[in-house]
Amino acid sequence: MTAVATDAPITDETCKAFRELSPDALTPDAVHRFVVGEDTTLQVLTAEEAAGELGDPFATELLLKGTFPRTAGEVLSAFAAAMPEGDLLRAPMFFLVGDGSQIPFSAETADVARNLRFLVTLGNGSEGPDVMLSAFNPEEGDVELMAWDHARGGFNYYQTVGDSSSWVFAGNSRHALLEATEGKGPFESHPSGNVIMKELRTPWINWDSPAANILPSAFAPDDPLRDHPWFNKKDPQGAITCEASVVRPGIERWTKARFATIAANGGKIERPERIMRQVLTSPAVNLGSSHTETSIVASTEAVDLPPRSFVDSAALTETLDLQAPPAFTVPGSRYAAALTAFDVALTDGDSFSRPGDTHFVFLVPERAAEDQAVVVAAIDSGLLTERLAACLLMVDFANPVFSERRAALLRHVPPTATITNDASDFSQALADAILAAAASTAEGSPEHEFAERWNAGEAWREAFNPLLESYYAAVTARLSDQEGFNDLFRLAEARRQRVRQMPIFESPLLFAQTNIPASERVMQSDGTVIER
Amino acid sequence: MAILERFATPAGLTEISDAALNEWSDTVKAIYADYLAEHPQFYDPTEQDTPDGAQVAPIAWPAFPARLRREVTSQEERWRRADNDRNEQDEYCEWSVERDSEKKVTRVTFTTEVPEYWDHLAEHDPDRLLALYRELVAPDVELDELIVDGTYKRDNDRNRTTTGRLAHLIQGSNNLEAAVDLVAKATVQRERDGVPVDGQQDLVVCGSLGNQFRHSDPQIARAVNTVAAAGDEITLRDPVGLYIDGLDAVGLQTPDGADPATFWTIERGDGAHAVRARYEVPGDRDYVVGDILDRGRPIAFGGQLADRVRVRVTALVKPADHTPRPQPCVP
Repeated sequence: MTAVATDAPITDETCKAFRELSPDALTPDAVHRFVVGEDTTLQVLTAEEAAGELGDPFATELLLKGTFPRTAGEVLSAFAAAMPEGDLLRAPMFFLVGDGSQIPFSAETADVARNLRFLVTLGNGSEGPDVMLSAFNPEEGDVELMAWDHARGGFNYYQTVGDSSSWVFAGNSRHALLEATEGKGPFESHPSGNVIMKELRTPWINWDSPAANILPSAFAPDDPLRDHPWFNKKDPQGAITCEASVVRPGIERWTKARFATIAANGGKIERPERIMRQVLTSPAVNLGSSHTETSIVASTEAVDLPPRSFVDSAALTETLDLQAPPAFTVPGSRYAAALTAFDVALTDGDSFSRPGDTHFVFLVPERAAEDQAVVVAAIDSGLLTERLAACLLMVDFANPVFSERRAALLRHVPPTATITNDASDFSQALADAILAAAASTAEGSPEHEFAERWNAGEAWREAFNPLLESYYAAVTARLSDQEGFNDLFRLAEARRQRVRQMPIFESPLLFAQTNIPASERVMQSDGTVIER
Repeated sequence: MAILERFATPAGLTEISDAALNEWSDTVKAIYADYLAEHPQFYDPTEQDTPDGAQVAPIAWPAFPARLRREVTSQEERWRRADNDRNEQDEYCEWSVERDSEKKVTRVTFTTEVPEYWDHLAEHDPDRLLALYRELVAPDVELDELIVDGTYKRDNDRNRTTTGRLAHLIQGSNNLEAAVDLVAKATVQRERDGVPVDGQQDLVVCGSLGNQFRHSDPQIARAVNTVAAAGDEITLRDPVGLYIDGLDAVGLQTPDGADPATFWTIERGDGAHAVRARYEVPGDRDYVVGDILDRGRPIAFGGQLADRVRVRVTALVKPADHTPRPQPCVP
C-alpha cells in the first residue's frame, strides 16, 4: 500500500470524513483504501492488494480490470460493456426517493432541496442485488456504491470523490462489527453493515411507489432529470419492489453470512454484546407512518397509526407469536386538532413552510429491520431461546425503540458465547446474570421486570398475552379523547427528536416541525406518557 | 396507429366467433359512450385517431389489497382474511387457494378477467361459457349453475370459491366499467378553495374516484390526472383490460433448489396480456407450494403470493391542446 500525500491525517471518524477528501489528493484510475478506524490516511492499493481484499463484482469485473467509471451512469455503462449479453449485471433496476419528493416544483418551492436520489441495483438475484449505487445525478460524481463480496461475504462499501476517476474502498460489512471500526465512516449510518431503506414499510413515505408516485413535477421544468432514462425506467412498483427484492433480501443475506461466520468459527462468539445490542437497543431505526395523506386527514373518518410505533410487533408477534396489536386509529378531526394545537408544519427551515404533517402523517421510528433480522437469526442459530428473547423484549415493551430499561440489561451480557449443535447455554447464563443482579437493584428496576417475566417459565406466552392485551386496550382508550391523543403525539415527537440526532436524518423535510418542547418522553404500559 | 377497427377481447382472446367479437367491441363502446360527452379528454379509439407517437403509460400495483395492509396489523391475519373472502380482494385481481389433505397449499389461481366478458359469453355463446368453466374450474360444472332464469350469475357457487378454481372477478369494484369510470373521471382536474388537488388520496376523495386506501384507484387516478393536466387525451390501450403483470419470486426458496419463478404458469392470455395464472409445483417434484419458503416462512396463504403479484392497466396518451378547467370536489 502506498500512502497518498495529504496535508494531515484525517481525524473525522464520521461518514463526513469522505467529504474532507479532496479529489486532487486521489490518484486517478486507482483503488484507494480508507477504512475509518483502521486508516487515518488514504492508501493506494496495489493490484495484488486490491485483489486480495475485494471479491465483489464491481471490483473483479471493473476496477481490477482497469475500468474506473467517474459517474453513476458510467458504472452502468461499464458493466454493460464488460459483461456478456444476458448477465444480470447488465440489467439495472431504478428507484427514486427524496425527502421532498411530494412537493411539486413552483415559483414558491423552487429553492426547496428535495434531495431526490436514485438507487440503482444490478445483478438482481434471489438474494437481492450484487451491486447497489446511490446517486443524486447519473451524470455526476460522488457516487456511493455497495457490492456483495462473493469471496468473503458482506457488502463492500465504495465511494468516489467529486469527479475523480479513483474509487475509495471504505470497508466491508464486517468492519461494522469490529471494535476499531464500528460506528465509523460508512458504518455510522450503516451500524450493522447492512443495507438501509429507512422508510421500509408500506406506504414507503418519500419513495416512488404505487402509494405515492414521484411525478416529473418534483423536478424543475428545465431539469434534464425530468426526462432522464433513469426516471422514465423507474421500477413500476417502486418501493414495493425495492423492499421485497432489494432491501429485505439484502438484509437477510448479510445477517445470514454474519451468523454463518460464527458457525465457521466453531460456534464461538467473541463479542455477544455486539449481537445483543441489536436485540436490546436501537442502534438503527426504520420509519413507519400512517397510510393517510396529510391532505385528507381532516375529512377522514379514521386515521390509521403505525402499530409498530406502539409495540415491537415485528419481534413479539411475527417472530414470537404473541398477541398482535389491533389497528390503532384516531378520528381525522382529532388528528387535525392536534396538528393545529402543535402548530405542525412541514418546512425546509428556510423559505418553504406548509401547514400540516408529512405527506403520510405520523411518521415515527420503529425497530429496524436489520435488528429484527438479528433477533430472528439469534433464535434460529440457537444463541437465544424464544423464551429469553420474549422475556427481554417484554421489558418496557411499551417503548419499542429507545428503551433505556432494555438497554440497561446489556451490562449483564456474558463476555463470550458458544453455539454447539444449534444450542447454547448463553440464554441461561444471561438470564442468570440478570436474575442475580436483580437482588441488588431497586424495586422496579429493569432487572426486576425481567425477573418477573422470566418467572413465567415456559408458559410465557400465556403470561405475556394478557399484558399486551391490557396495554393495547389502554392505548386504544388514550386515542379516544383529544388529551390522550395529544400525549401520544408528544411522545411521537420525542422519538422523532431522537432520530434527528441520527445520521439518517439528512433533511429537515424528513419530519414536520412542531411547537412541542424537546423533552424525553416515555410510554407506560397503562398508556400514559411521562416526561423526564 | 389509426382509428381502431374494434375493441379486442381482454388479452385478445379468440375463443368466440367473429360476430361475437364485434358484439364485445360494441359492449366496450357502450361503456365508453357513457363518459365521452362529459369528459372531453377521454376518448374512444374506435372513433378517434390514435397517432403512432401516442405515449404508452403502464400503471402497475400489487394484487394484495392495500386496504388490508392498513387495517390488519399481523401478516398472517391479513393473508388469512384476504384468502377467505373474495370481497376483500379489491385490487382488480382475485385468487383462490387449493390445499391437500394436510392443508398445505398446492395451487393458487389468480385472475383479472372482467365479469363483463363472461356476461358476454353467457349471452352469445353459452356452450363456450360452459366449456371454459369445465376446463378452468371443474369438469362437472352444469350450465344451470351458471345461468339462472336466463341471466348469467357472476357470483355463482363455482366462481365464488376461495378454495377451488375460480373463473373471473366478482368483487363489486373489480370490473371493466369501474376501471373505465375511474380513468374517464380522473381526467377532470380538481380544486378545493381554489387550490389544485394533486395528492393521490385527495384526488380520489375529491373526485369520488373509488377507495383512497387502495393501491389501484389512487395511483390510476393520479397518473391519468397528471397527463390530463397537460391538456392531453387519454384512453385505455387495446386490448382493454386488467392484466397480471407477473410474479416476483425473489426470496422464495424451494426444497430442491429449483427456480421458484418457473412454477408460475399463465393460463389465459400471454406474457404481455395475462388474465389468468396459477402458481403450482409440477407433479414430477415431491413437494408442493406449501413446502416453499417465503423469506424463511412456508407459503401457507395465497395472500403471500398475492403480495408478489402485480396487476397492470395501460393507458394511451394522445397529445392534445385542451385547456382543463378545474372543477370543485364532488359533494
